[in-house]
Amino acid sequence: MPTEKQLLQDLTPEIEKTGIRWYITFSVFFLVFCVGIYALIQQIDKGHIVTGMRDNVVWGLYIVNFIFFMGLSYAGALISGVLHLFHTGWRKPVIRLAELITVISLVIGPFFIFFCIGRLDRLPFLVMYPRIQSPITWDVIAISTDLVGCFMFLYLSLIEDFAILRDYNDLDVSPWKKKVYKVLSLGYTGTEKEKKILKNARNVMAAMIIAIAIIVYSVLAWIFGVTLQPGWHSTIFGPYFVIAAVFSGTGLLIILMWIYRKIYHLEEYITKRHFVNVGVLLTVIAAFYGYFTFSDYLTKWYGSIKMDSMLIDKLFHDYYALFIFANYVGILLPCIIIAFPKFRTIRNITIAAVIAVTALWVNRYIIVIPTLETPFLPIQDTRPDWIQYSPTWIEWSLTLAGISVYGMLFMLVSKIAPIISISEMKEEDKTEIMK
Amino acid sequence: MKRKLSLTLLLLSLFSLNSIVSYSQEKSKISPYIQLQYFKDNDENSYLKTTLTYSKNRMELPLPGMKIIFYSGPEKKTRLAEIVTDDKGVAIYNLTHKSDLLANKNGLWPFGSVFNGNDTIESGASELLIRYATLNMTLTEVDSIKTIGVKVKKMEKGKEIPVSGDKVTLYVPRMFSLLPIGEATLDESGSGSVEFPSSLPGDKEGNITIIARIEDHAEFGNIEKKATLKWGLPSTYTVPAGHRALWTKTAPKWMIYTLSILLSGVWGHYLFALISLIRIRIAAKKKAKEEYRV
Repeated sequence: MPTEKQLLQDLTPEIEKTGIRWYITFSVFFLVFCVGIYALIQQIDKGHIVTGMRDNVVWGLYIVNFIFFMGLSYAGALISGVLHLFHTGWRKPVIRLAELITVISLVIGPFFIFFCIGRLDRLPFLVMYPRIQSPITWDVIAISTDLVGCFMFLYLSLIEDFAILRDYNDLDVSPWKKKVYKVLSLGYTGTEKEKKILKNARNVMAAMIIAIAIIVYSVLAWIFGVTLQPGWHSTIFGPYFVIAAVFSGTGLLIILMWIYRKIYHLEEYITKRHFVNVGVLLTVIAAFYGYFTFSDYLTKWYGSIKMDSMLIDKLFHDYYALFIFANYVGILLPCIIIAFPKFRTIRNITIAAVIAVTALWVNRYIIVIPTLETPFLPIQDTRPDWIQYSPTWIEWSLTLAGISVYGMLFMLVSKIAPIISISEMKEEDKTEIMK
Repeated sequence: MKRKLSLTLLLLSLFSLNSIVSYSQEKSKISPYIQLQYFKDNDENSYLKTTLTYSKNRMELPLPGMKIIFYSGPEKKTRLAEIVTDDKGVAIYNLTHKSDLLANKNGLWPFGSVFNGNDTIESGASELLIRYATLNMTLTEVDSIKTIGVKVKKMEKGKEIPVSGDKVTLYVPRMFSLLPIGEATLDESGSGSVEFPSSLPGDKEGNITIIARIEDHAEFGNIEKKATLKWGLPSTYTVPAGHRALWTKTAPKWMIYTLSILLSGVWGHYLFALISLIRIRIAAKKKAKEEYRV
């Protein structure tokens, strides 16, 4: 069993020291973020005409990103909640990452809605004049509720670590950080009573965020599902979105495990076993996700409703490459890589995860855009740019800015809190982890 | 050496080509589209309307803030006014003194509008010839059959002559646009008629507005007549008080109950977690106090 001191020696350097590489990476992210801000100013100044969105395709890259980031968030919540509740032995080095995915994705996702809205000044109307019959209102309530819950769950899991860092005399950090640990640890000393209170609260919140994640992402799916649009009006969109979210979130978890393992030399803590376990989880979810995808498209194709047929025809012609990548390559390749023990190396599993995450983003794209490009009513004097969507540099810049902020937030959080939970790990048998 | 030279030449030619393209793009001016139209409204007020636009990416965009000179006259052109285009690229000149307008030998009023151009936009001009015409609308109801009658006359050689063969379109304004309800073709006496559909809803008293229009006529321009009368079906949009539905102000009860139960369940658990945090803080403070005493 690793001693607390040993764990602190291994896991606190990331908080104590900030290397030149950190600054360079952060600067690159910040630069991309600045380009995004410039693009946003252009958009506010000139209006949404600078985007590729027009009369028909009113939801573009912004909504694709919104769904994608929200999916990552709910996946993080589901994974961390389930791992915590079931006391999975190997969870300890990866659970913090899952919790961070939840909160950071949830912070970034809604910004894409703000980018998409033409009249931001009318945004308060959603709160001032809510109609609970509207799925948009459900979404606003759900996301804000989820945000509070996920922040609380993350904070509950950090209290013990803050207390450990507060009491660690050899910790070489600035006084303000020490003060932050003191305040945020709430004076927690680890007495039996405190442990019991904290454990109960965490268990309750873990169960809660699993339920909320499912409900909230279903609500997001229903925004599409209750709309009488070809491709969206589907009864299975709720569970389909939830499964897809977990698929992308699991993929992202693997990618982050690889990045942190590499940067902070956590080879002793995040081992091949963790990659294989999360990878197997990815494969199982990929199978479910593939099943839902097939089921959704099969029923639409077989039903041969005119608009559905037109949409499927569009997917297999105009969006052929994206469709094949998202729904064949993106599902089958990760399954093949992870299913065969011979291919199960850390590098291969990470590659599979990258493919899965990218494919899921593309899947979101081909859910949103082709449907809007297939309007019920034919348009007179049709111009290609009215009906065909292609994102502009403004939209790409804001997308990359969102990813940059994602990276920056992860980098900033890892400067304050350990990326692996010390409190959980100190009870973990290190030899068990090493297996 | 030879390869280097070719590469240099290629780069130079590409650079110069790029410069030429950029230079020509900088120098090219916007070609505007200028359209002059004549309108006569229900109150016999006439005006000239000039729309100044240009095409960009296959979209017609307005040119606001541009000076448009309106003029009239058959031989010696009389300057009527100089008007600046609004946000929609439109400049309007009201023809308040029609008696002062000079007609040509055929009895037509020549009108024109000119945009002189500037550093970035080319100049443009538009002209039209208008003959004075009158449009009258009569609304009759016989044995529950409602008929809209129209009569059009034009001024020729100082006399009013019926217009035949042309069409007058009839509309009823709806929420977003005008609903065409028929087209009256004018006979030799300059008259035409259309039966009014009996199924059109009006306001709560049945009031409905009927508009008769001659549109973009080569000789008469645009002429409009309208009248409001109780020919529509009285519309009653009264929703039963307390009716709960997706489309009414009050949501169905089951929605309110479901949302309330879900939210109170979730926020109740949040409250539990918050109380737990407070309990931890209190327990820690208590322990610190005890340690201090010891």
